[in-house]
Amino acid sequence: MIRGGFSGSILHVDLTHRKITIEPLDAALAEKYIGGLGLTIRLAYDEIKPGTDALSPENPVVLGAGPLVGTSLPSSSRVYAVSKLPTSNTIGWCGAGGANFGYLFKNAGFDHIVIKGRADQPVYLKIIDDDVEICPAGDLWGLGVEEADAVLRKKYEDRIGVLSIGQAGENRVPFSMAFVDRISTLGRGGLGAVFGSKNLKAVMVRGTRGIKVADRKRYKSLTKSFLKTIREYPYLKEWQDLGLVKSFPMIPKEEYFGMKKRRMACVSCPIGCKDLVEIPDGEFKGLTKHTSSVINLYTPVLYGFKDYRESVKCMATIDAYGLDMFEFFGIMGFVRSLLDNGVIPRDLPGSEIALDSLHSMEEWARKISFRDGFGDVLAGGFKNIIDTFGKEAEKLSPALVKGMHPYAGPNSALPWNLFGTMELGQILDPRGPHVGSGGSPTYFARRPLAVFPKHLTRMGVPQEDIKRILPGYGSPDQQQGLEVGKLLKYSHRWFTLLGSLGICARAAINRFYNAELCAEFYETVTGIQTSLPDLRQRVDRVWTLLRIANLREGFAENDEAPPESWFNTPGFKNYLTDEPLAREDAEQMIGDYFEEWGWDRKTGTPSRSLLKELDLKEL
Amino acid sequence: MGKYDIQVYTEKCTGCLRCQLACSDLTSKAFNPLLSKIQVFISNSGECTIHFTEECNQCGICVDHCFYDAMQKNEKEVDK
Repeated sequence: MIRGGFSGSILHVDLTHRKITIEPLDAALAEKYIGGLGLTIRLAYDEIKPGTDALSPENPVVLGAGPLVGTSLPSSSRVYAVSKLPTSNTIGWCGAGGANFGYLFKNAGFDHIVIKGRADQPVYLKIIDDDVEICPAGDLWGLGVEEADAVLRKKYEDRIGVLSIGQAGENRVPFSMAFVDRISTLGRGGLGAVFGSKNLKAVMVRGTRGIKVADRKRYKSLTKSFLKTIREYPYLKEWQDLGLVKSFPMIPKEEYFGMKKRRMACVSCPIGCKDLVEIPDGEFKGLTKHTSSVINLYTPVLYGFKDYRESVKCMATIDAYGLDMFEFFGIMGFVRSLLDNGVIPRDLPGSEIALDSLHSMEEWARKISFRDGFGDVLAGGFKNIIDTFGKEAEKLSPALVKGMHPYAGPNSALPWNLFGTMELGQILDPRGPHVGSGGSPTYFARRPLAVFPKHLTRMGVPQEDIKRILPGYGSPDQQQGLEVGKLLKYSHRWFTLLGSLGICARAAINRFYNAELCAEFYETVTGIQTSLPDLRQRVDRVWTLLRIANLREGFAENDEAPPESWFNTPGFKNYLTDEPLAREDAEQMIGDYFEEWGWDRKTGTPSRSLLKELDLKEL
Repeated sequence: MGKYDIQVYTEKCTGCLRCQLACSDLTSKAFNPLLSKIQVFISNSGECTIHFTEECNQCGICVDHCFYDAMQKNEKEVDK
């Protein structure tokens, strides 16, 4: 029986018929899928008809926040969305640091929102406790993300959470995102376009119902020692000062400290890794920008910008439109190479395409977001460009996975060349090429194998599985002993567990959690009797269901083939040995990953016995 | 009245609201930050204000839960 954590209701919004209904949360289903990411995936599975067009009114957006969101547990603010995504055509999860949106959404009384249909004019959804209303968004439509957010904050006296899209989403650019409280990104793969296709500019929330904890005495005792551990962490101040710059030492600290105006944290986070920056001098002096990671603001530098202030200005523009920066720069680089190789006539674009020029990149971000002229061709993404310019274009295309640009790897935006779980995950996350740590030890380069067992134990990997993941551990030849394919299962499992509870998976904070503790927190907050093996099985149910959902959409093993460029010189390297990665190595890892889940080694189809074990047989 | 004088350092605040979570839990047995006796607000341009409502009794639990040194509590001097 649920006695805490959950808010207890699901909000259903039909934009076509302007109908709002509130249904009680199905407690049995919530328990079976944990909540948060897990239950969001299940609700989306039920709502999405196979083959639905991502930009049709029938495609639902399901939002959710886990049972720990809204409590004081550190970094328990995550918000998830699941929908059919237009770039990849996958049923994909999208996740964001919940900033204020997550706790306010839960306090309004909801664990999930299911949004369907298409409004006949631009609207936003207003949720203030019981007061739920579909409101006209005429004054918001056409505004950038931060501008729309600011208008809503002014109108509702600031203490609100806002999920909003920019002009790229309005114009259904398939690589547009939604933003949470104008600081966190939600939806590489095109959630912004799904919102735009519904004429839905924003969701704003405020709530004052309160989140209760089932066992207050146990909660107090558990959190007291947990918070003490975080306070006494020797690198706490360093993480608080540097945020993600600690993980990316290539960013000059003097530039970062020179523009950092305020460190920002999602609600309940004791570390804080988001920032409000202000350009300190030069032509753009005084320009402020919220960002989920200051690293993102340096993305244009990766593509050739020389001045970090121009880079910040460029990202302010890209984020305002709501474009996915990696897809945007990937496409611009592709088009540049098509021009250089004569596949596209030099005068066709109508204006210069220079990846190291602020003026050029801002202009193309605008043209794509508004589908202006040649920008309309680019707004269709890689697939549309290849369809338009044919085989010669295809030959010059960068590696694509499910129609999207995997941006970590040799010759990619993030030039990490060691093949760990995050790199392999770019082809095996059902949503498509998303880059996330998943709390895996291989997130950091060149970690010695000796630290893996402790890390994996913390992630809840049973000892007998650790031996299979690390066959070389303890043997004289430790360098040969890491099975990345097998490890990726446990990374996905750990990420799904944290996401279903509502906890952030970023390395700075997830290091303090362990799976046993997660089970204790879940039981303490919700009152649902839970052991770690119970939670593992529920997580396996969630991730296997996401797999089934995408198999149902027609995805097959050839959609998960590793791109050829991953093996060209210089290609990826073995995480431990630095030896070049061969295609057969990657294919072996893919098979290992499937098999570790209990899915068919070749096709990735879950076995009947697994479906029975996970109580998914009826699906 | 509570026994502490509470000093705030708004420049250090990140808006994590751990103070509001703790205060609301203490006073209403539920996490309900908007109803807490301390209210933190960071504007779009980054200006921070930390405000205590009239019901606040300076118990200091907000200070205990801050991880960013944005608050400090000092025992009040009491006339005996």
